[in-house]
Amino acid sequence: MGMKNEYVGSGLRVLEADGIRVAFDGRPILSDIYLRVQTGQVVGLLGRNGSGKSTLLQAVFGARAVPDASVRVDGRRVVPAFQTPGLVNYLPQAPLLPAGLTLRRAARLLGVDPLAASAGFPELPAQLDCHLGELSGGSARLWQVLLLLHANTAFSLFDEPFTGIMPVHVETLGAAFQQARQRKGLLLTDHRYAELLPLCDVVYLLQQGRLLRLGPNFRDELVEYGYLLA
Amino acid sequence: MAVWVTRFRGIWLFYREVAPVLLFISAALLLVMQLPAMMQVPGLHEEKASGMSAGLLLAKLLSGLAVWYLVNELRPQRYWFYYNLGLSRAWLWGGVAALDGSLFIVAAQIIARLWA
Repeated sequence: MGMKNEYVGSGLRVLEADGIRVAFDGRPILSDIYLRVQTGQVVGLLGRNGSGKSTLLQAVFGARAVPDASVRVDGRRVVPAFQTPGLVNYLPQAPLLPAGLTLRRAARLLGVDPLAASAGFPELPAQLDCHLGELSGGSARLWQVLLLLHANTAFSLFDEPFTGIMPVHVETLGAAFQQARQRKGLLLTDHRYAELLPLCDVVYLLQQGRLLRLGPNFRDELVEYGYLLA
Repeated sequence: MAVWVTRFRGIWLFYREVAPVLLFISAALLLVMQLPAMMQVPGLHEEKASGMSAGLLLAKLLSGLAVWYLVNELRPQRYWFYYNLGLSRAWLWGGVAALDGSLFIVAAQIIARLWA
């Protein structure tokens, strides 16, 4: 466990992952993967249900041990990535916070100023002394996204960040993502593509175990690959 | 330094999550193992409390492994927050083992002295 937080702040950082091969019951889920995210970018990861998006994010984060997986930052191997201070955080689909923890304490542990994190969402500061289970699903999800987005890491990985969040908050959250990209790299996966795609600089599609980097006209390619209807 | 403080707080938080079960098991083990000594009738059937016997230690170890297995199987999502603090499962359970093991040994020694 290296203790020096050398990844936050100055300069361009590049997170790369490859060599990730995962199979369930002999069926290959991830086989041909090369993923690249750099600070200053919002990268979208799309794919059908069960295509392995969450598995890929967890493998990059380091929570899922994958033999031969190579995750590198600026060419240096960082496996498991989550143990490197200031490098990366990850929002899973499952609730993030322990049941007995208030949002205020969670923010303190994550090194986040909760008032700054919730700026733009006037109703949130009043919930600071609540536990996650006391909030509506949308508010709980929004808080979790904001806490990780404002944490001091070079990269953030979000698995379905928009789930349950009402449209007006999704728009504000989109602005928060755009603001956060100035200091970190973001990798987002969500089926709400209409909200996701306008945020993205780069879009990947996970298709039959292969990760395809789409070109600038990614909507057309998503139709071509059968992810969107024409 | 701040990173270490955060991680120790994380380990403490995780221990508090699993402590009710672990402490209940510890109390039950100590009670059952030391019961003969605690229930003795002076002059009739005197038996000393054994302190930290190999059997007690083994029972505690096995029960700890069972709790570890059940948490991993039934509540794997419990780890996500701690991963975000940079804590692996090994660090979390290592911390739990150190804290809970120390408490258990101290409690066993106190009981042994009280009924020695």
